[in-house]
Amino acid sequence: MQAEAQGRRIVLEIFGFLPVIIFVAVLIYISFNAPNFLTLRNLELVLMQSLPVVLVCAGLAAVVMAGGDDVVSGGIDLSIPATAVLAAGITAQMLSLGYPLALCAAVAFAASMIVGGLNAVLVTRIQMTPLLTTLAMFVAVVGVNNVVTASRRINVDHPWITVLRAQEVGGVPLGILVVALLVAVIFFALHQTRWGLNLQAVGGSRDAAEISGLNVNRFIAQSFILAAFSGFVCGFFILARGSGSSPGVEDNLMLEMVLATFLGAAFSPRRVVTMWGAILGAILVAAISIGFKSMGVNVFWTGLIKGSLIVLVVAFSAISQRVR
Amino acid sequence: MGQSAFRLSGITKEFPGVRALDDASLEVLAGEVHGLVGENGAGKSTVIKVLAGVYQPEAGKVEVDGQLLSPATPANVHAAGVRFIHQELHLVPHFTVTESVFMGQERRGPFGLAKREMRKAAETFLRDTLGLDVSGNRLIRDLGTAERKLVQVARALIDGDAKVVVFDEPTAPLASNEVDIVMGAIARLKAQGIAILYVSHYLSEITDICDRVTVFRQGQTVGVFDNITADSAGDLVFAMVGRNITDMFPPKGDRVVSDGLQITDFTDGQKFAPLTMSVGKGEIVGIAGLIGSGREEFVDTLYGLRRRKMGAVSFEGADLTITTAAQAVRSGLVLVPRDRRHDGLVLSMSVAENVTLATLEDNAVMGLENRNAARKATLAQVQSLDIRPPNPDAITRLLSGGNQQKVVLARWLSTSARIFIFDEPTVGVDVGAKAEIYQLIEELAGEGACVIVSSSDPVELQGVCDRIVVMTRGALVGEMQADAISVDDLVAATTGASSVEEIRNAS
Repeated sequence: MQAEAQGRRIVLEIFGFLPVIIFVAVLIYISFNAPNFLTLRNLELVLMQSLPVVLVCAGLAAVVMAGGDDVVSGGIDLSIPATAVLAAGITAQMLSLGYPLALCAAVAFAASMIVGGLNAVLVTRIQMTPLLTTLAMFVAVVGVNNVVTASRRINVDHPWITVLRAQEVGGVPLGILVVALLVAVIFFALHQTRWGLNLQAVGGSRDAAEISGLNVNRFIAQSFILAAFSGFVCGFFILARGSGSSPGVEDNLMLEMVLATFLGAAFSPRRVVTMWGAILGAILVAAISIGFKSMGVNVFWTGLIKGSLIVLVVAFSAISQRVR
Repeated sequence: MGQSAFRLSGITKEFPGVRALDDASLEVLAGEVHGLVGENGAGKSTVIKVLAGVYQPEAGKVEVDGQLLSPATPANVHAAGVRFIHQELHLVPHFTVTESVFMGQERRGPFGLAKREMRKAAETFLRDTLGLDVSGNRLIRDLGTAERKLVQVARALIDGDAKVVVFDEPTAPLASNEVDIVMGAIARLKAQGIAILYVSHYLSEITDICDRVTVFRQGQTVGVFDNITADSAGDLVFAMVGRNITDMFPPKGDRVVSDGLQITDFTDGQKFAPLTMSVGKGEIVGIAGLIGSGREEFVDTLYGLRRRKMGAVSFEGADLTITTAAQAVRSGLVLVPRDRRHDGLVLSMSVAENVTLATLEDNAVMGLENRNAARKATLAQVQSLDIRPPNPDAITRLLSGGNQQKVVLARWLSTSARIFIFDEPTVGVDVGAKAEIYQLIEELAGEGACVIVSSSDPVELQGVCDRIVVMTRGALVGEMQADAISVDDLVAATTGASSVEEIRNAS
C-alpha cells in the first residue's frame, strides 16, 4: 500500500505540473513560428504588457491566500480589474477637466478603497460567498465607470503618467522598476512577516487559524483592501499603456488575472496560490497573448484558446485537489 | 504527586431539555496521567469545555493549581497553564512543521520573521520533549497522522508554560502501530512533571497509561479508580454501562436463515483491511466499532460510495459487483445513512417526493413523473409506518428526527430491496420512534431480507441483532452471538478491554 501511495503521489505531481508544461509547449511552438518572438526587445515588450496583469494578480493572490484556494467557496476577488478601470476612468476624466493629478489620484484612491471596503463587509459581515460578491461588484463598478467616463475613450498625456511607459532608468523601463518594487514590498509582507504567515494560515485552514487565536475575518477583510489597492495602482498602468482610458479593458484583464493566478499555483513547490506563482503566470499569459499576435493569429481565436487554457488549468487543479 | 493540578467540583450544566452535567466532579493531581471515560453522551466533552471556560456552568467551582477561577474563561485558563489537544488536528496541509508549531505565536527577527530560530526551536521541542525527530521544513501533508498529532501537541506546548494538558481522544484516527508514538510522547510529558487528563474510548490505552481514572455516566461522576492495572478494565466497563435497559426491543422471531449475502476479502485498501463476513436471508448482523474503526468506511464502500480495492460480494451465490450507489439500489441493496439530514433526505422537498425519489421511474409515464401515483404510494407507506403528520405533502424539514428517519425507511421499503444496511439507525431519534424502528428491522428480517446494522450503541446492537462482528482500528477482529453476550462484553470488545476470544470462552 505504501508503494502505491507513492506512485499516486508521483502521478499527482505530474498532474500539478501539466498546466506549466502545456504553457511552455505553446511558447516553444510560438517561438518557432514567430521568429522575432525570442528577442530581448520583444521580451521587454512582453514584460511591459504584463504589468497591469501582474499588479492585479498580486492583489488576487493575497485574497486567495487569505480565503483559501477553493475556486467556488474560497477567496477570490473578481472586482479588482473593475477597480483598476474605475481608478483609470476617474483619473482620466478629472485630468481632462483640468484638476491636478494629485487630486485625481486621491479621488481614485478613495473610490478604490470604497470598493475594497464593500467587498470586505459583504464577505466577512454578511457572509456572502466571495465569488458572487465580487462578480456583482465587478458589474456594478464597471457601471459606475461607464457613468464617470460616459463610456468613451479619454486620452491622457500627463507627463507623470506617460513616464511609466516611456522613461528608462539604467536601460530598464521605469514602469517595470516601479512594479518590481511594489511586488517586492507585497511579497515581503506576505511571506516574511508574521502578518503574512497568519494570513496564509487563515486561508489554509480557518479552524486551525481560529484555534491559534487569529481573527479570521480581519485578515480576510485586509486581503480585500490590499486587492483594491493593487487595482488602484493598476489603474495608472492602464492609463500609461493605452495613453488614456478606454471602455472594455476590464474584461480581458479579469480573464488574464484569473488564468495567471491559478496557473501560478502550478509553479509553487507547495502547489498553492502564491505571489511569485501568480506573477510568473501573469508574464506567461502576456507572452502567449503577444506571441499569438506576432504569429498573426486571428484575435477571435485568441479568446477561444485562452478560455480553453483556463478550463484546463482549473480542471487540473481540481483533479490534484481531489486526489490529495 | 499529591498536589491538585486542577479540580472541578459540583459542576452542573444544563442545555435546553438536557442536564449534561449533574453535580459532576473531576480532579487531576500534579504529575499524574488521569483517565476520563464514559459512554457517548456521558458528559465528557461538556466537562472539558467547562474546564476550558467555553461553557459557563450553572453551579460548581473551577480551580486550577489551587486558584479559584470565577468565572473560568478561555483566557485565564490558558494563562493558568492548561492546554487542550483537540480531537481534530486543525493543521494547514501545505504549511511546514515549523509554521504549524508557531502558528499565531511567530517569533520576529531583526528582518521579518526569525525563521531559522523558529525552526531550531520547533525541531528541538519535538525531539526532546515529544520524541519525534522530524525536519522543521517538512510539509504537514507529507507526515503521518501520529506525527501530525505531535505537531499539534507541540503547538499547544511550545511556549513552555503548560502545567496541565488535556488530550481529547488523541488516538481515535490512528492505526494501531501509530498509537505507540503518541503514548510515548505522553509518557515523556508526564516524566517532565506535566499533569495529563486523558480522554479516550479505548480502555486498553487507559489502563496502560493512566495512574487514576474517573468514570462519568449520564452527567455524573460515578467512580474514581486508583491503582489502575490491566485488570481494571472490567470494573471500568461496569461503572460506565451500569444502567437499566428499557424494554425497547421486539422479541426475536423464529426466522429461517438461508444463504444470502457473502462478503469475501473485501477492502478499500485504506481504512479497513480485507474482511470476510456473511449475512443470511432473514438474519440481522450487527457491526460494532468505535469511531475510526473503519466501520463507517466499510459500510460506505459496500454501498458503492467509496471505491473498493479488492474482494468479492455475492448474493444467493450470484456475483454482486457494486461500484456506484445507483447500481446498489438497482441490485436491491440499500443504505439508511448515518447522517440522514445530509445524505438521506432532501429536506426542502415533501415527504412524498422524498419517498418516491428512488422509485421515480416506476411511477413515471414516458419519463414524466406521475404525481398522483406517487402520492398514493406514499400515503400507504405513511400510514403503515405511522409517520407524523400523516400528510404526504408535508415538508420534510419540519418533521422530527424519528419521523425523518421513517421517511428514509419508507423510501427503501417501497423498492424491492433485499439487502438493508442501517448505519446508526437511531441517532437523534426519540425513544418511541426507536422502538418502532427496531420493530421494523425485525419485520424486514422476518420477511427474509438480509439486514446489517452498523452502530456505536452497544445496547442497540445487543438488543436487535442475531450476530455481531467487531471492528477495531480497521480490522474485523471477531464475531459473537448476540444472545450469548452482555452489553458489557460488547463494550469490552469494542474498546479493546478484552478480546473477542476471551469473551466467547467466558460465555
